[in-house]
Amino acid sequence: MLLALIRKELLALVRDPHALAALFLMPAAFIVIMSLALQNLYAPPVRQLPYAIDSATDSPAARRISATWAMTQGRAQPLPATSGEVEEALRQGRLAYVLTLDAGLADALSDLDPPRAPVVHLRVEPGLDQGAFRTLQAELASAVGELRAALLQASFTGESPRGSQSILPFLSIEQLGSTLRPVSAVQQNVPAWLVFGMFFVVTAISSLFVQEQHNGSLARLAALGVPEHIQILAKALPYVVVNAIQAALMLTVGCALMPLLGGEALSLAGIHWPALILMLGATSLAAIGFALLLACLVRTHAQANTLGPLCNLLMAALGGIMVPTFVMPGLMQQLARLSPMNWGLEGLLTVLLRHGDLSEAAPWALRLAIFGILGLALASRLFSRRIIS
Amino acid sequence: MLCVSGLHYRYPAAATPALVDFSLEARRGEILGLLGPNGAGKSTLVAHLAGLLQADGGEIEVDGESLAQLRRRAPTCIAIAPQDFAFYPMLSVAENLRCFAAASRLSGAAARQAIARALAATCLEDFAGTRAEYLSGGLKRRLNLAIALLPTPEMIVLDEPTVGVDPQSRAFLLETVRGLAATGMAVIYASHYMEEIEAIADRVVIVDHGRVLREGPLAELLAQARGQVEVQLEAPLDGDALAALAGDIDGQLKVTGVHLKLELAADASPVAALACIEARGGCIRDARFGRHSLERVFLSLTDTRLRDH
Repeated sequence: MLLALIRKELLALVRDPHALAALFLMPAAFIVIMSLALQNLYAPPVRQLPYAIDSATDSPAARRISATWAMTQGRAQPLPATSGEVEEALRQGRLAYVLTLDAGLADALSDLDPPRAPVVHLRVEPGLDQGAFRTLQAELASAVGELRAALLQASFTGESPRGSQSILPFLSIEQLGSTLRPVSAVQQNVPAWLVFGMFFVVTAISSLFVQEQHNGSLARLAALGVPEHIQILAKALPYVVVNAIQAALMLTVGCALMPLLGGEALSLAGIHWPALILMLGATSLAAIGFALLLACLVRTHAQANTLGPLCNLLMAALGGIMVPTFVMPGLMQQLARLSPMNWGLEGLLTVLLRHGDLSEAAPWALRLAIFGILGLALASRLFSRRIIS
Repeated sequence: MLCVSGLHYRYPAAATPALVDFSLEARRGEILGLLGPNGAGKSTLVAHLAGLLQADGGEIEVDGESLAQLRRRAPTCIAIAPQDFAFYPMLSVAENLRCFAAASRLSGAAARQAIARALAATCLEDFAGTRAEYLSGGLKRRLNLAIALLPTPEMIVLDEPTVGVDPQSRAFLLETVRGLAATGMAVIYASHYMEEIEAIADRVVIVDHGRVLREGPLAELLAQARGQVEVQLEAPLDGDALAALAGDIDGQLKVTGVHLKLELAADASPVAALACIEARGGCIRDARFGRHSLERVFLSLTDTRLRDH
């Protein structure tokens, strides 16, 4: 009996192209689009920005800064002939920024006292994003600081530093996790939109439920003596399979498709697979429990088709799916913790980025499981009322 | 077989009860016509028989066993064919039948045989592979019936089984229902269509406001109006003539303008009554006497006012 009812649910789903698109195409499309669109947010492309250097001096210090900058940022573009043309090039974005070195650069850097006025000027185009702007600012301060240190050392000891003047050899920077590199847009977006897509089972479940309720199929099954728990299980179990297929598809998109489209690849190397399965299972339980509860609450197709997606969008907006929580202010980050989608996302990020094991994923999985079980319990209580109505 | 006695039910927050002291009987091999206007309580009764509602009072028994107990032991003993198309439009006819056969606890060869039998009984063999959403109204009604027949019930409740079908499909469905009763099945046939009930019912229950107004064999119900004579005159009689006529007639006289309604005594002659009217100056335009249609019985019991306004 259970198998026949599950088969009915699956047949209804595969014959509904809109539901299939919402479950599989939409999250995959979001992963591709958002990963490509937000690529620069996670890795500001400062090294590809077109720039020019306007140097009023040909001193060794100016030449050294220009050379250092060219090594890290690429070759400079020719400087427009007049200051008006420079201004125009910046306004139009043909140049992302212009580095201006004043005539007194070398003296100012060698002097123990701070300069009376700045000797290095960074002017950027109006549309440069804050991430790139701050990175440029930091890199320029670092280059000028390194040069000043070298010049002061030479003036006191009569010797220039040997080898590279960079401070970086003095530092060791390590980011824990599998990738050993900064979080990319793909790594954020694959788990985010996977969680979003998994919660979208709400539309498919509630649409069929409303249809069954309205045409009397649910009542007929009940009249035939089909127990309520069998009816609920028959609705829940097919969507566990659907969620599993979604997970496989979205991870494949991240690992295989994104590199082909010019994005970074999602890496699954070294992750704790049982922890990943635990998180996916808990997210699926939460999504299905929530979907069944909503299905038992709505009464019309219009409600089913709007309330479910609306709740999903709110949970996604709040939970860091659409906007990563790390860019949110503190209060919003605390509010994000109220969204079950955030629990799914944080749990998956724990596993995929931080190589978290079962114990680290468990707190997130536990929250999701409690949410899902509560949803199922409430749905069970409402189910019989829906049959009669 | 089925005995409903003193059933009482009020929906939560409803001002009036849906069923009040409701009693009826359905017997094997017999078609019980259930007649009632909208909101009369037919669907509430069907919901009780389907086990979807718990009565506030009264009893439903099948062969002396309580319905609740019977449903626990044999939940498919009573089949319901609801008024709605209670199946899955995105599934084919065969897929729907397989789904509901499994829900009826049929599997393997038993399920295949039940499906073949239901398809044959409703002449749906040629549409087994057609998705239900693409069937015509008549075919959908037949599928609705076929699903009800899957578990070979001892009793079937048909709620408005011919709504929205063409005359050919209606004739086919009525013939099929007759065939079911002929096999010994008890049939409860709820319908608004008096002529259908008149055509197939052995006994009739007329319900309104949750109460049984009249129950009995169809022929008996129709014959109950035998003593009534309805007369329409060309012009109304004056007061003296009417007073004299009331004294002439062996029975009761009701007058509304040119309409006279006579309730004659058991052995009174309608011909003599008509002669009396003419003798008192009445010019008869139209006169009706004898067997009434079910519709007239129904309307006289439930009154003719609109209900859904």
